[in-house]
Amino acid sequence: MQVYLPIAEMSVDAFLLMGIGFGVGWLSGLFGVGGGFLLTPLLILIGIPSPVAVASGANQTLGASVSGLIAQWRRGNVDAKMGGVLLAGGFLGSFAGVQLFALLRRIGQVDLAVSLFYVVVLGTVGALMVMESARAILRRRGAVRRKLHEHTWAHGLPLKMRFRKSRLYISIIPPALVGFGIGVLSAVMGVGGGFMLVPAMIYLLGMPTSVVIGTSLFQVVFVAANVTLLQAVQLGTVDILLTLLLLVGGVAGAQFGAAMGTKLKGEETRALLGLLVLGVALSLLWGLLRPPGNLFSAGPAL
Amino acid sequence: MGETAAEKAATAKRDRVFLVVVDDSAERDVALRYACLRARNGGGRVALLRVLEPVGMIEWAGVGVLMAEERREEAEKLLSGLGAQVQEITGSLPIVEIREGEPRDQLLALLEEDPRISILVLASSTGSGPGPLISALTGRYASRVRVPMTIVPGGLDDRELERVT
Repeated sequence: MQVYLPIAEMSVDAFLLMGIGFGVGWLSGLFGVGGGFLLTPLLILIGIPSPVAVASGANQTLGASVSGLIAQWRRGNVDAKMGGVLLAGGFLGSFAGVQLFALLRRIGQVDLAVSLFYVVVLGTVGALMVMESARAILRRRGAVRRKLHEHTWAHGLPLKMRFRKSRLYISIIPPALVGFGIGVLSAVMGVGGGFMLVPAMIYLLGMPTSVVIGTSLFQVVFVAANVTLLQAVQLGTVDILLTLLLLVGGVAGAQFGAAMGTKLKGEETRALLGLLVLGVALSLLWGLLRPPGNLFSAGPAL
Repeated sequence: MGETAAEKAATAKRDRVFLVVVDDSAERDVALRYACLRARNGGGRVALLRVLEPVGMIEWAGVGVLMAEERREEAEKLLSGLGAQVQEITGSLPIVEIREGEPRDQLLALLEEDPRISILVLASSTGSGPGPLISALTGRYASRVRVPMTIVPGGLDDRELERVT
């Protein structure tokens, strides 16, 4: 069933979109992630223009993360103060990211830039995930213990603040920078950024793992909302029909995923997710390297 | 040997074990205190069970491992604190058990596996309803409980607890 997407200005099969929404929703229910980092590249691969794909990815992430945030908030696993600092950085970052996006669009390089971002980020993340799981499956993991309260140069920074829930007394500069970086990525790639935020919070900021998931969702929800809004207002790239079809599939998929999440074997599933992420990165890379159908196209001069 | 009935009763009393489920509810302290007082006054030991919530699926394996480790450490810290309380009242350290999974299932499994446990002590919630564990063990899962259960009203204060033990 072909439907015409008014903003993307193209026709696609409605069932294909619902299927993609279902698959991504299933994964996000399974792993408790937003799923934007798979949705946006999949949309680009089926030919949706990058700006629309990015805006819709951010929107989907928002939907998937809100229910997770509510559940974590009720259990008291959100460090709102740390979340606020991350968010301040995140708002600035997403604002800067949308400006960067608008600039890239003006000079006609947005498709290339988004694909490059994805190839680099997904390639790295996918490779790390596969390596990590392979090591765990082969049982060759060395017992690497993290030192608590390690003092580094970051502790000499000014503007120190006490984060009671995270049991930290650190400068607000590192979390604000982390938030800023994730905000930029969120705006350019249409992801929530949870899959990078969680390790960053643990290994860079030294937060306890119990509050990490909830606090990262806190940041993701508000930054994704901000990105969707900015993309819609400034660039006009949120396609309501597209996001509606994706959400229909996504909601159903998330239910299945959440139900299966407790029954699947962790390592194998993680390895599969890593391979999937790598596969998406490689197909985007192929799209960049492949000789185009028509070698010359007219566009605005730089 | 000619053991009298009274002597037999005395040894049995010393051997009995009161199991308390350590969760994060406010009633936990009432159940624990009741078990300690019973153990002190009538002989016996206290056992503590802490059931950890499984980590679930996290996209990063390293994060998942770290999370499980931190939860276990936190549980150990909590149990050693409670263990000191138990020792203060009863004079002996409690038996400690940390498990991972659904609290109800793990509790039933422990009761099946450990023949030392003789009484399960639970405290009812002061809000509406007795709390999820009591509802489950007195309702659908009642036939699977292999030991007697004592349900302590969660609203009892220390003096009332002294009186009933």
